[in-house]
Amino acid sequence: MNIRACSKGMDEMLVALFLFWIPVAMVPLGLWYSMSSPLKNASSRGRLFAFTGVVLICISPWTVPSSPSTAAGHLLGAIIGPCMLILLGIYLISFSGNVPVGKLPRSDRKLGVLMTGFGFIWLAGMHWWILTPQLSPNEVNHYWFVFWPTFIILTSCLASCSAVTLLMIGEQRKAESNAMFIVSGLSFSILILGLNVDGPLITADEFREHLWLAVADLAGITVGSLLSIFVFALVIYSYERSLPAPKSISPPTESELKQVSTLIASHLGGEDE
Amino acid sequence: MKESNLTFTWRMMLLAFLLPPLLILAIDITFYGSFKGIDSNVSFTRFSNATLTAYMLCSLFLLGNLFFYGESRNRPLAPLVGMFFATALGVVATVFFIGQGPMLLEDNGSVRAQAIYNVVHMFVSSGAILVAMGVALGVTFSAITSQKQRNNFELEEE
Repeated sequence: MNIRACSKGMDEMLVALFLFWIPVAMVPLGLWYSMSSPLKNASSRGRLFAFTGVVLICISPWTVPSSPSTAAGHLLGAIIGPCMLILLGIYLISFSGNVPVGKLPRSDRKLGVLMTGFGFIWLAGMHWWILTPQLSPNEVNHYWFVFWPTFIILTSCLASCSAVTLLMIGEQRKAESNAMFIVSGLSFSILILGLNVDGPLITADEFREHLWLAVADLAGITVGSLLSIFVFALVIYSYERSLPAPKSISPPTESELKQVSTLIASHLGGEDE
Repeated sequence: MKESNLTFTWRMMLLAFLLPPLLILAIDITFYGSFKGIDSNVSFTRFSNATLTAYMLCSLFLLGNLFFYGESRNRPLAPLVGMFFATALGVVATVFFIGQGPMLLEDNGSVRAQAIYNVVHMFVSSGAILVAMGVALGVTFSAITSQKQRNNFELEEE
């Protein structure tokens, strides 16, 4: 979506601040509060705070229609359903298997497979069917072109990497590795289909263009993040290096050494059964 | 029956990660004889914007983490100031490079519009990355837990 420089009244900016950007900040703040505060009920209060933020972001296209950034809120509202279905489905499949704690009933496995499959079909329907997120009739939400190729190509890459890692590190993990190769292959097939089959609102050429932009995006995010982590490490390293060396203490005396060896000797060995 | 393991190498991991985009490139070259759909100028603009925005946002996040680091060290100011300047440098560099003209200015009309677009774009990309990581890790975990329970203490039982 193009954000064009135009003279906006202060009111519109304030509305965008209160109804879009503050809710955006509420999500990480709420999660951080729920995880870190030692207060009683902090967890539920933090989650409620974050949830309120998510709801406000999702309705921002209606509350702040003048701000082009709210197209991201529109996309969030469109994809939150299938994404939650996929993630909850995977959770059900995982914890209905052989896990030592938090085991779910075996029947949840089928439900999990159903939910995950339905979630993926829903997302595919957004590309090849009538479910495409649209800001107005026939105007596809621009951020969908960012989310969809990034998600599909990264899933394929990570699944392929995971499959090879299982083969290299795991002991007798060929079956699991094959499952990951299948996931990678399925994601790759969706990519190939997207590159060759037009949807009702998204052409194969558009998808191809945005796929390579997603790759450029992923490369940029990797470089930028690594750079900032490097700078962070450099700052900590410089600070730690500037600290004076800790005071060294005098070596232990004969009597201290004797006491230590007596203590060690009394704890060595074991009783015969 | 024992399966032979592959030798662990980072190169192999990296190759496995890059395999899908490399395959698409290979298919494109085979069928079309060129890198179809890649506009190097637009891709470079996106790469640069993503790098600058990721650096800026990641530095901000790490700056917040320095408060926790300082908690165990009597809150020293030096690393906080250092990281603040590193973050500020990112912000200044972003504004400077976007302000240079059409190089980093995508379809937006001003530096502020482009900067806001970059941040929102980064949120969407990060969301896609998080969901993809959730799917990949979750499916790996579910593939492991769906196998029969293993007994690693065969010798003890004997």
